[in-house]
Amino acid sequence: MIMCVAVVGHQNNPLYLQSFTEADDALKLHHIVHCSLDVVDERVNNPKKSGPTLNETFLGMLYPTENYKVYGYLTNTKVKFLMVTTDLDVKDADVRSFFRRFHAAYVDAVSNPFHVPGKKITSNAFAERVSGIVKSFGPVTTG
Amino acid sequence: MGREVAESCIDGVIIEMVSAYCKRFYATKPELAARRIEAIGYQVGHQLIERLPSAFPPFLFCLRASCSLSSDLFMRGLPGPVDLVLIGYTVERPRFSDHLEAIKFICKDFWSELFKKQIDNLKTNHRGTFVLQDNRFRWLTRVSIDPSLDISEASQDDSAVTPENKAAEATSMHLYFPCGIIRGALSNLGIPCAVSADISNLPACSFVVRVKA
Repeated sequence: MIMCVAVVGHQNNPLYLQSFTEADDALKLHHIVHCSLDVVDERVNNPKKSGPTLNETFLGMLYPTENYKVYGYLTNTKVKFLMVTTDLDVKDADVRSFFRRFHAAYVDAVSNPFHVPGKKITSNAFAERVSGIVKSFGPVTTG
Repeated sequence: MGREVAESCIDGVIIEMVSAYCKRFYATKPELAARRIEAIGYQVGHQLIERLPSAFPPFLFCLRASCSLSSDLFMRGLPGPVDLVLIGYTVERPRFSDHLEAIKFICKDFWSELFKKQIDNLKTNHRGTFVLQDNRFRWLTRVSIDPSLDISEASQDDSAVTPENKAAEATSMHLYFPCGIIRGALSNLGIPCAVSADISNLPACSFVVRVKA
């Protein structure tokens, strides 16, 4: 199950964070996301470690904790997408397609002429679309 | 997929925007008008580049030249050996490793998405200055190069202002918007720069990009 997704701007400023848990753990999730930003920087600055393809947008699993896995994605415009999941065996291909759809949703959200670049995303349509993407991710991996 | 709009409407909006800023809002301050038009272009480019690198409509085919940069100082004949690449949601564009990669993206994919043609010539001094030359810039093809229309107006004005100067000034106002688009696109890719345009002989036009160190 996906615990939360987050969008972080190019100056590591939080743009969007949505959690999908019942409990009130927004602070904890913020903490996890914040910690993984260092790993993103590390992957980007030392491209040798980041897998077979150089400069790929998908960064792979950033770091596993006891309960969570954090996956990252970096766009050409230096915006980071992070996803925290509790699933133990997640296929990379599923995460890739998740991020791709998430990226498409993000692009549509920031193309809104009333969105101010660099400010938090407040669009309800974006939140709904992200929820839909997250929901469709769950059953595929567990089933 | 996306909704479409006629090119003539876009042309009309741009011409109207330039004339509104130059003749109505900031009639006495041409520098301020230029800055405002450039700022509008900046925002357009900033948002447009977000969509282009990864989110091409899946059915769109794009010609991407697979030319490698020659070691000599100037890069000539940009559209080199060309192969057909399908850019869609399935193919992700890798991140740009350096400035030249990003500029080449602007010249090819970005430009052909905007104007249905690529930049005709790209020159660089490899020290942060790039000259992008378009031999037939789409937004200037409708500009009249005949200065005779302005003669009657100019004769009433200060005699030092020649009609040629006036026509060039009016044309250059139309170039602040595309300059802003380029600057917005590049700065969202993480390349802060200054862009200026220069008109040699009319439908041709070149944009000079200076990357800030």
